[in-house]
Amino acid sequence: MKLRVVRARPERFGGIAETEHPRALLHVDRRMMRELGHPDSPSWNEDERSEAPLSAPTEVHVVLSRRCAAGCTGCYVDATPKGASLSLVDARRILDELAAMGVFHVALGGGEALELPQLFEIAAYARSVGITPNLTTSGLGLTAADAERCRVFGQINVSVDGVGEVYTRARGFDGFAHAERALRLLRAVKEEVGVNCVVSRTTFDGLGEVARLVRTLRLNELELLRFKPVGRGAGLDEELTPEQARRIYPLARRLMLRHRIRVKLDCSFAPMVFWHRPSARAAAFWGVQGCVAGDVLAAVAPEGNLMACSFAGATGVDARIPGNVRSAWPSSFATFRDFVGSAPQPCASCQYLRLCRGGCRAVASAHGRLSDPDPGCPRVQEWRAGHSPGRSRPASLALPVIPA
Amino acid sequence: MRKGRVLRVTFGCNPNSSSLGVDVTFLFLGATFATAIALLLGAVLRWSTRS
Repeated sequence: MKLRVVRARPERFGGIAETEHPRALLHVDRRMMRELGHPDSPSWNEDERSEAPLSAPTEVHVVLSRRCAAGCTGCYVDATPKGASLSLVDARRILDELAAMGVFHVALGGGEALELPQLFEIAAYARSVGITPNLTTSGLGLTAADAERCRVFGQINVSVDGVGEVYTRARGFDGFAHAERALRLLRAVKEEVGVNCVVSRTTFDGLGEVARLVRTLRLNELELLRFKPVGRGAGLDEELTPEQARRIYPLARRLMLRHRIRVKLDCSFAPMVFWHRPSARAAAFWGVQGCVAGDVLAAVAPEGNLMACSFAGATGVDARIPGNVRSAWPSSFATFRDFVGSAPQPCASCQYLRLCRGGCRAVASAHGRLSDPDPGCPRVQEWRAGHSPGRSRPASLALPVIPA
Repeated sequence: MRKGRVLRVTFGCNPNSSSLGVDVTFLFLGATFATAIALLLGAVLRWSTRS
């Protein structure tokens, strides 16, 4: 096996190298960067163990539009058939700046990106400036000709929140057959095709069926995304029950082993994973972490607003203006980046704080303040139960409390 | 002299707004497996660069 480094950029700890076959991002130390032939970087004058953010995100989610005809009941961008969209000219300008900053991937989504006539031109332009474009789609209306053009993308995931009736209950319309057809069309032309499944109270019990679909269609991954009460989802009572939150990580492992498929959980599931006390060293090595917003990840809204992630509020920075993203990056996301240093209890005493980062900031914000602990974290729920009025003693915690 | 090291790896591309999270494919195999993969990747990377 030979690993070809297609791009690399320096960071204070060394650098990040992108390889293909297998496609991967490797964080390497300064010595390895030198061995790869890179000259010393000015960023290496900084402390390599510093907690400072990366010099740029590794990935940016470009929300191409709030336009979608499907009308899913829980749509987090509140998409409508006539929603705003990012023009080709603006998208190119943004991609130019991201490429100059050293961003490796963009995740293109919406809304329904396939409804936009400029989608494939945007994807081709991303390729031309050295960024890998990836796509999330509902698959509705995808034709064989569209699938052929989708070769330009890296990973494509089709949203399938359940099989058959579960899909209908989760999304509010009967679209499973269309999604399955889209998966078959895409898989016929490329290997990097997977499924996105929003895990909600309604869809939880149907995850086994979705995993079976992934295996049957020989897809390369199943991504489980936590339901977040934002956009139209804010009006739904679909967040996981405490019992489901405790079961999601063992269930994901079981699905992986039973169906021999790759299963990923999104960063908002980090508290549910760390509650089971996995190896912290292994988690750090495999890049398992909580909120990556404003660090590994950033997002751009169709109106041009720069965001820490696509579930977070706008910063007021217009990413369409050249130079704005680069100048805003070092200082714009302090609320997200500072959580570890100022975390309240019970996060402050959790041994996984530096990895978990307090779980999902968007969910915390939806329930109170951005700086609150994630209310879906099992440890937070246990701690709150032990500190609620009327309790004289705290309940035992699954994780040890470390004295300050 | 100590050789360069791979500190972290994430496989594949992420098409989502928030899925830079947990790849459970490898996490449950623990720290020893992660260390072995880090050494292997480092060696392959070095060899690939030289050859």
